[in-house]
Amino acid sequence: MSQTARATWAQCKSEMLRTARNKRFVIFSVIMPIAFFFIFTGTMNADETIDGTDWIPYYLMSMTAYGVIGASLTSFAPRIAKERAQGWIRLLRITPLPSGSYVLSKIVAQALINLVIIVLVFAVAGLSKGIDLPAAVWVESGLWIWLGGFAFMALATLVGSMRNADAVQVLSMILYLGMSVMGGLWMPTSTFPQVMQDISKWLPTYRVGQGAWNLVGGGHPDWAGFGILAAYAFVFVIISSYIMKKQEAV
Amino acid sequence: MDHVIELERVSKVYKGKRAVDGLSLRVAKGSVLALLGPNGAGKTTTVSMILGLLQPTEGKVRLLGGDPREAGVRKRIGAMLQEVSVIDNLKVSETIELFRSYYDKPLPLADLLRISALESERGKMASALSGGQQRRLGFALALAGDPEVLFLDEPTVGMDVTSRQLFWETVRKMADRGKTIVLTTHYLEEADSIADRIVVVSDGRIVADGSPSEIKARTTGRVISFTAGERTSDDELRAIPGVTELSRSGRRVKLMSADTDRLIAELIGRRTDMRDIEIGSGGLEEAFQALVSKAE
Repeated sequence: MSQTARATWAQCKSEMLRTARNKRFVIFSVIMPIAFFFIFTGTMNADETIDGTDWIPYYLMSMTAYGVIGASLTSFAPRIAKERAQGWIRLLRITPLPSGSYVLSKIVAQALINLVIIVLVFAVAGLSKGIDLPAAVWVESGLWIWLGGFAFMALATLVGSMRNADAVQVLSMILYLGMSVMGGLWMPTSTFPQVMQDISKWLPTYRVGQGAWNLVGGGHPDWAGFGILAAYAFVFVIISSYIMKKQEAV
Repeated sequence: MDHVIELERVSKVYKGKRAVDGLSLRVAKGSVLALLGPNGAGKTTTVSMILGLLQPTEGKVRLLGGDPREAGVRKRIGAMLQEVSVIDNLKVSETIELFRSYYDKPLPLADLLRISALESERGKMASALSGGQQRRLGFALALAGDPEVLFLDEPTVGMDVTSRQLFWETVRKMADRGKTIVLTTHYLEEADSIADRIVVVSDGRIVADGSPSEIKARTTGRVISFTAGERTSDDELRAIPGVTELSRSGRRVKLMSADTDRLIAELIGRRTDMRDIEIGSGGLEEAFQALVSKAE
Protein backbone atom coordinates (compact mmCIF):
# COMPACT_ATOMS: atom_id res chain seq x y z
CA MET A 1 0.00 0.00 0.00
CA SER A 2 1.35 3.45 -0.80
CA GLN A 3 1.94 6.00 1.91
CA THR A 4 -1.05 8.11 0.82
CA ALA A 5 -3.37 5.11 0.66
CA ARG A 6 -2.24 4.03 4.13
CA ALA A 7 -2.84 7.52 5.52
CA THR A 8 -6.24 7.75 3.84
CA TRP A 9 -7.30 4.43 5.31
CA ALA A 10 -6.06 5.41 8.80
CA GLN A 11 -8.05 8.65 8.45
CA CYS A 12 -11.06 6.64 7.38
CA LYS A 13 -10.84 4.32 10.37
CA SER A 14 -10.58 7.24 12.80
CA GLU A 15 -13.62 8.87 11.21
CA MET A 16 -15.66 5.72 11.76
CA LEU A 17 -14.41 5.32 15.29
CA ARG A 18 -15.31 8.92 16.09
CA THR A 19 -18.77 8.53 14.60
CA ALA A 20 -19.47 5.33 16.52
CA ARG A 21 -18.43 7.07 19.76
CA ASN A 22 -20.65 10.07 19.06
CA LYS A 23 -23.74 9.82 21.26
CA ARG A 24 -25.74 12.16 19.03
CA PHE A 25 -25.12 9.81 16.11
CA VAL A 26 -26.17 6.70 18.00
CA ILE A 27 -29.36 8.37 19.27
CA PHE A 28 -30.51 9.98 16.02
CA SER A 29 -29.37 7.40 13.50
CA VAL A 30 -29.85 4.09 15.28
CA ILE A 31 -31.99 4.28 18.42
CA MET A 32 -34.60 6.80 17.23
CA PRO A 33 -35.42 5.12 13.87
CA ILE A 34 -35.74 1.71 15.51
CA ALA A 35 -37.85 3.09 18.38
CA PHE A 36 -40.12 5.02 15.97
CA PHE A 37 -40.49 1.90 13.87
CA PHE A 38 -41.71 -0.17 16.80
CA ILE A 39 -44.02 2.59 18.06
CA PHE A 40 -45.73 3.28 14.73
CA THR A 41 -45.95 -0.30 13.56
CA GLY A 42 -47.28 -1.31 16.98
CA THR A 43 -49.99 1.33 17.27
CA MET A 44 -51.25 1.26 13.70
CA ASN A 45 -53.22 -1.55 12.13
CA ALA A 46 -50.63 -3.94 10.69
CA ASP A 47 -52.82 -4.83 7.71
CA GLU A 48 -52.94 -1.23 6.54
CA THR A 49 -51.47 -0.52 3.11
CA ILE A 50 -50.04 2.74 1.72
CA ASP A 51 -50.47 3.02 -2.06
CA GLY A 52 -50.61 -0.75 -2.23
CA THR A 53 -47.53 -1.36 -0.04
CA ASP A 54 -47.85 -3.12 3.31
CA TRP A 55 -47.47 -0.71 6.19
CA ILE A 56 -44.73 -2.51 8.13
CA PRO A 57 -42.15 -2.84 5.32
CA TYR A 58 -43.20 0.62 4.11
CA TYR A 59 -42.42 2.17 7.47
CA LEU A 60 -39.19 0.18 7.82
CA MET A 61 -37.96 1.88 4.63
CA SER A 62 -39.07 5.28 5.95
CA MET A 63 -37.19 4.85 9.21
CA THR A 64 -34.05 3.42 7.62
CA ALA A 65 -33.91 6.42 5.30
CA TYR A 66 -34.57 8.66 8.30
CA GLY A 67 -31.59 7.15 10.15
CA VAL A 68 -29.23 7.47 7.18
CA ILE A 69 -30.27 11.09 6.61
CA GLY A 70 -29.82 11.77 10.33
CA ALA A 71 -26.28 10.43 10.25
CA SER A 72 -25.33 13.01 7.64
CA LEU A 73 -27.15 15.95 9.15
CA THR A 74 -26.76 15.43 12.89
CA SER A 75 -23.19 14.16 13.05
CA PHE A 76 -21.45 14.65 9.70
CA ALA A 77 -22.33 18.33 9.11
CA PRO A 78 -21.54 19.58 12.65
CA ARG A 79 -18.28 17.64 12.60
CA ILE A 80 -17.12 19.30 9.39
CA ALA A 81 -17.98 22.71 10.82
CA LYS A 82 -16.29 21.97 14.13
CA GLU A 83 -13.10 20.72 12.54
CA ARG A 84 -12.84 23.93 10.56
CA ALA A 85 -13.71 26.17 13.51
CA GLN A 86 -11.22 24.43 15.79
CA GLY A 87 -8.31 24.71 13.41
CA TRP A 88 -7.98 21.04 12.50
CA ILE A 89 -8.19 21.67 8.79
CA ARG A 90 -5.44 24.28 9.15
CA LEU A 91 -3.22 21.79 10.97
CA LEU A 92 -3.92 19.05 8.40
CA ARG A 93 -2.92 21.42 5.61
CA ILE A 94 0.67 21.43 6.83
CA THR A 95 0.85 17.62 7.04
CA PRO A 96 1.65 15.55 3.92
CA LEU A 97 -1.93 14.23 3.86
CA PRO A 98 -3.38 15.50 0.54
CA SER A 99 -6.62 17.45 1.02
CA GLY A 100 -8.23 15.08 -1.48
CA SER A 101 -7.45 12.16 0.82
CA TYR A 102 -9.07 13.95 3.71
CA VAL A 103 -12.28 14.52 1.74
CA LEU A 104 -12.24 11.00 0.29
CA SER A 105 -11.75 9.39 3.71
CA LYS A 106 -14.68 11.36 5.10
CA ILE A 107 -16.96 10.25 2.26
CA VAL A 108 -15.85 6.60 2.38
CA ALA A 109 -16.21 6.49 6.17
CA GLN A 110 -19.67 8.03 6.05
CA ALA A 111 -20.74 5.67 3.25
CA LEU A 112 -19.63 2.68 5.32
CA ILE A 113 -21.41 4.07 8.37
CA ASN A 114 -24.59 4.48 6.31
CA LEU A 115 -24.29 0.89 5.19
CA VAL A 116 -23.99 -0.26 8.80
CA ILE A 117 -27.11 1.74 9.75
CA ILE A 118 -29.10 0.15 6.92
CA VAL A 119 -28.03 -3.38 7.79
CA LEU A 120 -28.60 -2.79 11.50
CA VAL A 121 -32.08 -1.27 11.18
CA PHE A 122 -33.12 -3.88 8.58
CA ALA A 123 -31.87 -6.69 10.82
CA VAL A 124 -33.32 -5.51 14.13
CA ALA A 125 -36.68 -4.32 12.82
CA GLY A 126 -37.08 -6.74 9.95
CA LEU A 127 -36.30 -9.88 11.95
CA SER A 128 -38.37 -8.94 14.99
CA LYS A 129 -41.44 -8.19 12.88
CA GLY A 130 -40.87 -11.18 10.61
CA ILE A 131 -41.01 -9.09 7.44
CA ASP A 132 -41.08 -11.43 4.46
CA LEU A 133 -39.47 -9.93 1.38
CA PRO A 134 -37.43 -11.58 -1.40
CA ALA A 135 -33.67 -11.31 -0.81
CA ALA A 136 -33.30 -9.23 -3.97
CA VAL A 137 -35.75 -6.64 -2.63
CA TRP A 138 -33.86 -6.35 0.65
CA VAL A 139 -30.64 -5.76 -1.25
CA GLU A 140 -32.16 -3.37 -3.79
CA SER A 141 -34.04 -1.26 -1.30
CA GLY A 142 -31.01 -1.09 1.00
CA LEU A 143 -28.82 -0.12 -1.91
CA TRP A 144 -31.29 2.56 -2.99
CA ILE A 145 -31.33 4.19 0.45
CA TRP A 146 -27.53 3.93 0.58
CA LEU A 147 -27.21 5.71 -2.78
CA GLY A 148 -29.70 8.34 -1.69
CA GLY A 149 -27.49 8.91 1.37
CA PHE A 150 -24.88 10.56 -0.85
CA ALA A 151 -27.20 13.46 -1.63
CA PHE A 152 -27.43 14.12 2.11
CA MET A 153 -23.68 13.85 2.60
CA ALA A 154 -23.38 16.53 -0.05
CA LEU A 155 -26.00 18.64 1.74
CA ALA A 156 -24.15 18.13 5.03
CA THR A 157 -20.92 19.32 3.43
CA LEU A 158 -22.69 22.45 2.23
CA VAL A 159 -24.25 23.18 5.62
CA GLY A 160 -20.95 22.34 7.32
CA SER A 161 -19.12 24.94 5.25
CA MET A 162 -20.83 27.75 7.17
CA ARG A 163 -18.48 29.66 9.44
CA ASN A 164 -20.52 29.50 12.62
CA ALA A 165 -20.39 25.97 14.08
CA ASP A 166 -23.36 26.58 16.40
CA ALA A 167 -25.52 27.80 13.54
CA VAL A 168 -24.59 24.64 11.63
CA GLN A 169 -25.86 22.53 14.52
CA VAL A 170 -29.21 24.33 14.56
CA LEU A 171 -29.67 24.59 10.80
CA SER A 172 -28.85 20.93 10.17
CA MET A 173 -31.33 19.89 12.87
CA ILE A 174 -34.06 22.04 11.33
CA LEU A 175 -33.34 20.66 7.85
CA TYR A 176 -33.25 17.12 9.19
CA LEU A 177 -36.54 17.18 11.06
CA GLY A 178 -38.31 19.54 8.64
CA MET A 179 -37.42 17.64 5.51
CA SER A 180 -38.10 14.27 7.13
CA VAL A 181 -41.61 15.30 8.12
CA MET A 182 -42.31 17.10 4.83
CA GLY A 183 -40.88 14.23 2.80
CA GLY A 184 -43.26 11.76 4.38
CA LEU A 185 -40.74 9.76 6.35
CA TRP A 186 -42.67 10.14 9.60
CA MET A 187 -46.17 9.90 8.15
CA PRO A 188 -46.98 8.98 4.55
CA THR A 189 -47.50 12.00 2.29
CA SER A 190 -50.89 10.62 1.27
CA THR A 191 -52.13 11.88 4.66
CA PHE A 192 -51.04 15.45 3.72
CA PRO A 193 -53.11 18.17 2.07
CA GLN A 194 -52.57 18.37 -1.72
CA VAL A 195 -50.29 21.47 -1.57
CA MET A 196 -47.89 19.77 0.81
CA GLN A 197 -47.93 16.61 -1.30
CA ASP A 198 -46.90 18.67 -4.32
CA ILE A 199 -44.05 20.27 -2.40
CA SER A 200 -42.81 17.01 -0.93
CA LYS A 201 -42.36 15.52 -4.41
CA TRP A 202 -39.39 17.87 -4.84
CA LEU A 203 -37.70 17.00 -1.57
CA PRO A 204 -34.74 14.60 -1.52
CA THR A 205 -36.15 12.99 1.64
CA TYR A 206 -39.33 11.99 -0.20
CA ARG A 207 -37.34 10.71 -3.16
CA VAL A 208 -35.11 8.46 -1.03
CA GLY A 209 -38.20 7.03 0.64
CA GLN A 210 -40.20 6.69 -2.55
CA GLY A 211 -37.67 4.49 -4.36
CA ALA A 212 -37.53 2.10 -1.42
CA TRP A 213 -41.32 2.11 -0.96
CA ASN A 214 -41.77 1.20 -4.62
CA LEU A 215 -39.28 -1.64 -4.31
CA VAL A 216 -40.90 -3.24 -1.28
CA GLY A 217 -44.31 -2.79 -2.96
CA GLY A 218 -43.07 -4.96 -5.82
CA GLY A 219 -42.34 -2.09 -8.23
CA HIS A 220 -39.26 -0.14 -9.30
CA PRO A 221 -37.83 3.20 -8.20
CA ASP A 222 -38.67 5.84 -10.81
CA TRP A 223 -35.94 7.59 -12.72
CA ALA A 224 -37.35 11.00 -11.87
CA GLY A 225 -36.50 10.25 -8.25
CA PHE A 226 -32.98 9.21 -9.16
CA GLY A 227 -32.59 12.33 -11.29
CA ILE A 228 -33.78 14.63 -8.51
CA LEU A 229 -31.43 13.06 -5.94
CA ALA A 230 -28.49 13.21 -8.33
CA ALA A 231 -29.27 16.83 -9.16
CA TYR A 232 -29.38 17.76 -5.48
CA ALA A 233 -26.07 15.98 -4.83
CA PHE A 234 -24.46 17.71 -7.80
CA VAL A 235 -25.64 21.20 -6.85
CA PHE A 236 -24.66 20.80 -3.17
CA VAL A 237 -21.17 19.57 -4.07
CA ILE A 238 -20.60 22.40 -6.55
CA ILE A 239 -21.70 25.12 -4.11
CA SER A 240 -19.85 23.73 -1.12
CA SER A 241 -16.60 23.20 -2.98
CA TYR A 242 -16.89 26.76 -4.33
CA ILE A 243 -17.39 28.11 -0.79
CA MET A 244 -14.50 26.08 0.62
CA LYS A 245 -12.14 27.13 -2.18
CA LYS A 246 -13.05 30.75 -1.53
CA GLN A 247 -12.48 30.43 2.21
CA GLU A 248 -9.10 28.79 1.70
CA ALA A 249 -7.78 31.30 -0.81
CA VAL A 250 -6.46 33.82 1.71
CA MET B 1 25.48 28.36 4.39
CA ASP B 2 22.38 26.25 4.09
CA HIS B 3 19.21 28.29 4.40
CA VAL B 4 16.15 26.37 5.48
CA ILE B 5 13.82 29.34 5.33
CA GLU B 6 14.09 32.32 3.02
CA LEU B 7 11.76 35.31 3.00
CA GLU B 8 12.37 38.01 0.44
CA ARG B 9 10.65 41.37 1.06
CA VAL B 10 7.46 39.63 2.07
CA SER B 11 4.31 41.64 2.78
CA LYS B 12 0.82 40.63 3.75
CA VAL B 13 -2.06 43.06 3.48
CA TYR B 14 -5.26 42.33 5.38
CA LYS B 15 -8.21 44.60 4.72
CA GLY B 16 -5.91 47.49 3.82
CA LYS B 17 -3.62 47.00 6.83
CA ARG B 18 -0.07 45.78 6.37
CA ALA B 19 0.25 42.97 8.91
CA VAL B 20 3.69 42.13 7.56
CA ASP B 21 5.61 44.85 5.79
CA GLY B 22 8.53 44.04 3.49
CA LEU B 23 10.09 41.48 5.79
CA SER B 24 13.26 39.67 4.69
CA LEU B 25 14.69 36.81 6.68
CA ARG B 26 17.03 33.86 6.21
CA VAL B 27 17.22 31.05 8.69
CA ALA B 28 20.23 28.75 8.73
CA LYS B 29 19.91 25.00 9.18
CA GLY B 30 20.07 23.90 12.79
CA SER B 31 19.38 27.30 14.30
CA VAL B 32 16.81 28.06 16.96
CA LEU B 33 15.11 31.28 15.99
CA ALA B 34 12.71 33.20 18.18
CA LEU B 35 10.34 35.67 16.58
CA LEU B 36 9.69 38.07 19.39
CA GLY B 37 7.16 40.84 19.48
CA PRO B 38 4.01 42.12 21.12
CA ASN B 39 0.57 40.78 20.17
CA GLY B 40 -0.42 41.84 16.68
CA ALA B 41 3.19 42.43 15.59
CA GLY B 42 2.80 40.04 12.64
CA LYS B 43 4.60 37.00 14.08
CA THR B 44 1.81 34.52 13.43
CA THR B 45 1.13 35.98 9.98
CA THR B 46 4.82 35.52 9.16
CA VAL B 47 4.84 31.92 10.35
CA SER B 48 1.60 31.21 8.47
CA MET B 49 3.20 32.48 5.25
CA ILE B 50 6.31 30.36 5.80
CA LEU B 51 4.04 27.34 6.25
CA GLY B 52 1.99 28.16 3.14
CA LEU B 53 -1.23 28.63 5.12
CA LEU B 54 -1.35 32.23 3.92
CA GLN B 55 -0.12 33.55 0.61
CA PRO B 56 2.02 36.71 0.72
CA THR B 57 0.60 39.78 -0.99
CA GLU B 58 4.14 40.62 -2.15
CA GLY B 59 7.50 38.93 -1.97
CA LYS B 60 8.77 35.36 -2.02
CA VAL B 61 8.76 32.59 0.56
CA ARG B 62 10.86 29.46 0.33
CA LEU B 63 10.82 26.64 2.83
CA LEU B 64 13.45 23.88 2.51
CA GLY B 65 14.18 25.24 -0.94
CA GLY B 66 10.63 24.83 -2.23
CA ASP B 67 7.05 25.91 -1.99
CA PRO B 68 5.67 25.17 1.48
CA ARG B 69 2.52 23.72 -0.11
CA GLU B 70 4.46 20.89 -1.82
CA ALA B 71 3.95 17.47 -0.25
CA GLY B 72 7.71 16.88 -0.35
CA VAL B 73 8.25 19.92 1.86
CA ARG B 74 5.38 19.12 4.22
CA LYS B 75 6.88 15.70 4.96
CA ARG B 76 9.88 17.41 6.51
CA ILE B 77 8.16 19.95 8.75
CA GLY B 78 6.01 19.93 11.85
CA ALA B 79 4.13 22.70 13.60
CA MET B 80 2.25 23.65 16.69
CA LEU B 81 -0.25 26.27 15.59
CA GLN B 82 -2.31 28.60 17.72
CA GLU B 83 -5.99 27.99 18.33
CA VAL B 84 -6.00 24.37 17.29
CA SER B 85 -8.15 22.29 19.57
CA VAL B 86 -7.86 18.50 19.90
CA ILE B 87 -9.91 16.17 17.72
CA ASP B 88 -13.00 14.86 19.52
CA ASN B 89 -13.86 11.21 20.24
CA LEU B 90 -10.29 10.02 19.75
CA LYS B 91 -7.92 8.88 22.47
CA VAL B 92 -4.47 10.39 22.92
CA SER B 93 -2.70 7.36 21.45
CA GLU B 94 -5.19 7.13 18.56
CA THR B 95 -4.68 10.80 17.71
CA ILE B 96 -0.90 10.36 17.65
CA GLU B 97 -1.17 7.16 15.60
CA LEU B 98 -3.36 8.98 13.08
CA PHE B 99 -0.75 11.69 12.63
CA ARG B 100 2.04 9.12 12.44
CA SER B 101 0.24 7.50 9.49
CA TYR B 102 0.69 10.69 7.43
CA TYR B 103 4.48 10.39 7.37
CA ASP B 104 7.01 8.05 5.75
CA LYS B 105 9.31 7.75 8.74
CA PRO B 106 7.36 8.67 11.85
CA LEU B 107 8.84 8.63 15.33
CA PRO B 108 7.68 5.62 17.39
CA LEU B 109 4.49 6.17 19.42
CA ALA B 110 6.33 5.37 22.67
CA ASP B 111 8.90 8.10 21.97
CA LEU B 112 6.23 10.68 21.20
CA LEU B 113 4.35 9.84 24.39
CA ARG B 114 7.54 10.12 26.40
CA ILE B 115 8.62 13.41 24.79
CA SER B 116 5.24 14.98 25.46
CA ALA B 117 5.00 13.38 28.94
CA LEU B 118 1.61 11.90 28.12
CA GLU B 119 2.44 8.25 28.84
CA SER B 120 -0.11 7.90 31.61
CA GLU B 121 -2.75 9.78 29.54
CA ARG B 122 -2.39 7.62 26.44
CA GLY B 123 -5.76 5.90 26.92
CA LYS B 124 -7.67 9.08 27.75
CA MET B 125 -9.91 10.91 25.31
CA ALA B 126 -7.91 13.84 23.96
CA SER B 127 -10.76 16.22 24.72
CA ALA B 128 -10.60 15.21 28.42
CA LEU B 129 -7.03 16.50 28.77
CA SER B 130 -6.22 19.73 30.58
CA GLY B 131 -5.26 22.80 28.55
CA GLY B 132 -1.54 22.27 29.14
CA GLN B 133 -1.78 18.57 28.30
CA GLN B 134 -3.62 19.40 25.07
CA ARG B 135 -0.77 21.72 24.10
CA ARG B 136 1.69 18.90 24.81
CA LEU B 137 -0.37 16.60 22.60
CA GLY B 138 -0.10 19.28 19.91
CA PHE B 139 3.65 19.13 20.39
CA ALA B 140 3.65 15.34 19.98
CA LEU B 141 1.67 15.76 16.73
CA ALA B 142 4.16 18.36 15.48
CA LEU B 143 6.95 15.85 16.07
CA ALA B 144 5.09 12.83 14.67
CA GLY B 145 6.90 12.90 11.33
CA ASP B 146 10.34 13.48 12.89
CA PRO B 147 10.54 16.89 11.16
CA GLU B 148 13.70 18.75 10.17
CA VAL B 149 12.05 22.08 10.78
CA LEU B 150 9.78 22.62 13.73
CA PHE B 151 7.46 25.61 14.09
CA LEU B 152 6.11 26.55 17.49
CA ASP B 153 3.62 29.41 17.43
CA GLU B 154 3.17 30.70 21.00
CA PRO B 155 3.61 27.15 22.26
CA THR B 156 3.42 27.79 25.99
CA VAL B 157 0.11 29.68 26.03
CA GLY B 158 -2.16 27.81 28.43
CA MET B 159 0.68 25.88 30.13
CA ASP B 160 1.41 26.18 33.82
CA VAL B 161 4.93 26.89 35.11
CA THR B 162 5.94 23.24 35.46
CA SER B 163 4.64 22.33 31.99
CA ARG B 164 6.49 25.32 30.58
CA GLN B 165 9.83 24.28 32.07
CA LEU B 166 9.38 20.69 30.95
CA PHE B 167 8.39 21.89 27.51
CA TRP B 168 11.42 24.12 26.97
CA GLU B 169 13.69 21.38 28.22
CA THR B 170 12.30 19.08 25.53
CA VAL B 171 12.61 21.74 22.85
CA ARG B 172 16.23 22.24 23.85
CA LYS B 173 16.83 18.49 23.37
CA MET B 174 15.30 18.74 19.90
CA ALA B 175 17.63 21.63 19.12
CA ASP B 176 20.61 19.57 20.30
CA ARG B 177 19.60 16.92 17.78
CA GLY B 178 20.18 19.46 15.03
CA LYS B 179 16.59 20.41 14.24
CA THR B 180 15.83 23.87 13.00
CA ILE B 181 13.31 25.48 15.29
CA VAL B 182 11.25 28.60 14.71
CA LEU B 183 9.22 29.79 17.65
CA THR B 184 7.16 32.85 18.35
CA THR B 185 6.65 34.32 21.77
CA HIS B 186 6.01 37.61 23.43
CA TYR B 187 8.17 36.70 26.42
CA LEU B 188 11.76 37.78 25.99
CA GLU B 189 12.81 35.45 28.80
CA GLU B 190 11.58 32.42 26.87
CA ALA B 191 13.31 33.60 23.71
CA ASP B 192 16.50 34.32 25.64
CA SER B 193 16.65 30.93 27.32
CA ILE B 194 16.08 28.80 24.23
CA ALA B 195 17.02 30.67 21.06
CA ASP B 196 20.40 31.27 19.52
CA ARG B 197 18.93 34.06 17.44
CA ILE B 198 16.22 36.55 18.25
CA VAL B 199 14.36 38.57 15.64
CA VAL B 200 12.27 41.32 17.18
CA VAL B 201 9.19 42.12 15.13
CA SER B 202 7.00 45.15 15.55
CA ASP B 203 4.29 46.40 13.18
CA GLY B 204 5.20 43.76 10.62
CA ARG B 205 8.83 44.84 10.41
CA ILE B 206 12.08 43.55 11.88
CA VAL B 207 13.35 46.04 14.45
CA ALA B 208 16.24 43.98 15.79
CA ASP B 209 18.03 40.78 14.79
CA GLY B 210 20.86 39.10 16.64
CA SER B 211 21.96 36.71 19.34
CA PRO B 212 20.20 37.09 22.70
CA SER B 213 23.24 38.84 24.16
CA GLU B 214 23.42 41.22 21.21
CA ILE B 215 19.76 42.05 21.59
CA LYS B 216 20.21 42.75 25.27
CA ALA B 217 23.33 44.81 24.59
CA ARG B 218 21.46 46.97 22.12
CA THR B 219 19.32 48.17 24.93
CA THR B 220 21.87 49.76 27.21
CA GLY B 221 19.75 48.65 30.04
CA ARG B 222 20.52 50.13 33.41
CA VAL B 223 17.66 51.37 35.48
CA ILE B 224 17.11 53.77 38.34
CA SER B 225 13.81 53.27 40.07
CA PHE B 226 12.35 55.25 42.97
CA THR B 227 9.13 56.39 44.53
CA ALA B 228 8.59 59.90 43.29
CA GLY B 229 7.14 62.80 45.27
CA GLU B 230 3.69 64.05 44.34
CA ARG B 231 4.90 67.10 42.47
CA THR B 232 7.38 65.26 40.25
CA SER B 233 5.99 65.16 36.73
CA ASP B 234 6.98 62.70 34.02
CA ASP B 235 7.75 65.52 31.59
CA GLU B 236 10.16 67.05 34.03
CA LEU B 237 11.97 63.72 34.51
CA ARG B 238 12.10 62.97 30.78
CA ALA B 239 13.77 66.31 30.20
CA ILE B 240 16.77 65.33 32.34
CA PRO B 241 19.79 64.57 30.10
CA GLY B 242 20.65 60.87 30.01
CA VAL B 243 17.12 59.55 30.47
CA THR B 244 16.36 57.27 27.54
CA GLU B 245 13.12 55.78 28.75
CA LEU B 246 10.59 56.32 31.50
CA SER B 247 7.94 54.04 32.86
CA ARG B 248 5.72 54.51 35.85
CA SER B 249 3.28 52.45 37.86
CA GLY B 250 1.53 54.62 40.41
CA ARG B 251 4.20 56.64 42.19
CA ARG B 252 6.97 54.16 41.32
CA VAL B 253 9.08 55.53 38.50
CA LYS B 254 11.68 53.66 36.40
CA LEU B 255 14.26 55.63 34.45
CA MET B 256 16.44 53.88 31.92
CA SER B 257 19.82 55.28 31.04
CA ALA B 258 23.12 54.41 29.43
CA ASP B 259 24.97 55.97 32.36
CA THR B 260 23.11 55.58 35.62
CA ASP B 261 26.05 56.90 37.67
CA ARG B 262 25.83 60.30 36.04
CA LEU B 263 22.03 60.25 36.06
CA ILE B 264 21.80 59.65 39.80
CA ALA B 265 24.17 62.58 40.41
CA GLU B 266 22.01 64.71 38.13
CA LEU B 267 18.81 63.69 39.94
CA ILE B 268 20.30 64.50 43.32
CA GLY B 269 21.73 67.75 41.98
CA ARG B 270 18.24 68.79 40.89
CA ARG B 271 16.86 67.92 44.31
CA THR B 272 14.35 65.55 42.78
CA ASP B 273 11.87 64.28 45.38
CA MET B 274 12.84 60.57 45.55
CA ARG B 275 12.56 57.78 48.10
CA ASP B 276 13.54 54.06 48.12
CA ILE B 277 16.06 54.45 45.33
CA GLU B 278 17.26 51.32 43.52
CA ILE B 279 19.83 51.09 40.77
CA GLY B 280 20.13 47.92 38.74
CA SER B 281 20.63 46.43 35.34
CA GLY B 282 17.57 46.65 33.15
CA GLY B 283 15.49 43.50 33.00
CA LEU B 284 14.93 41.70 29.76
CA GLU B 285 11.35 42.87 29.56
CA GLU B 286 12.45 46.50 29.81
CA ALA B 287 15.01 45.94 27.10
CA PHE B 288 12.34 44.47 24.88
CA GLN B 289 9.85 47.25 25.58
CA ALA B 290 12.53 49.79 24.76
CA LEU B 291 13.29 48.13 21.42
CA VAL B 292 9.68 47.99 20.41
CA SER B 293 8.83 51.51 21.49
CA LYS B 294 11.90 52.88 19.70
CA ALA B 295 10.57 51.35 16.51
CA GLU B 296 7.32 53.17 16.98
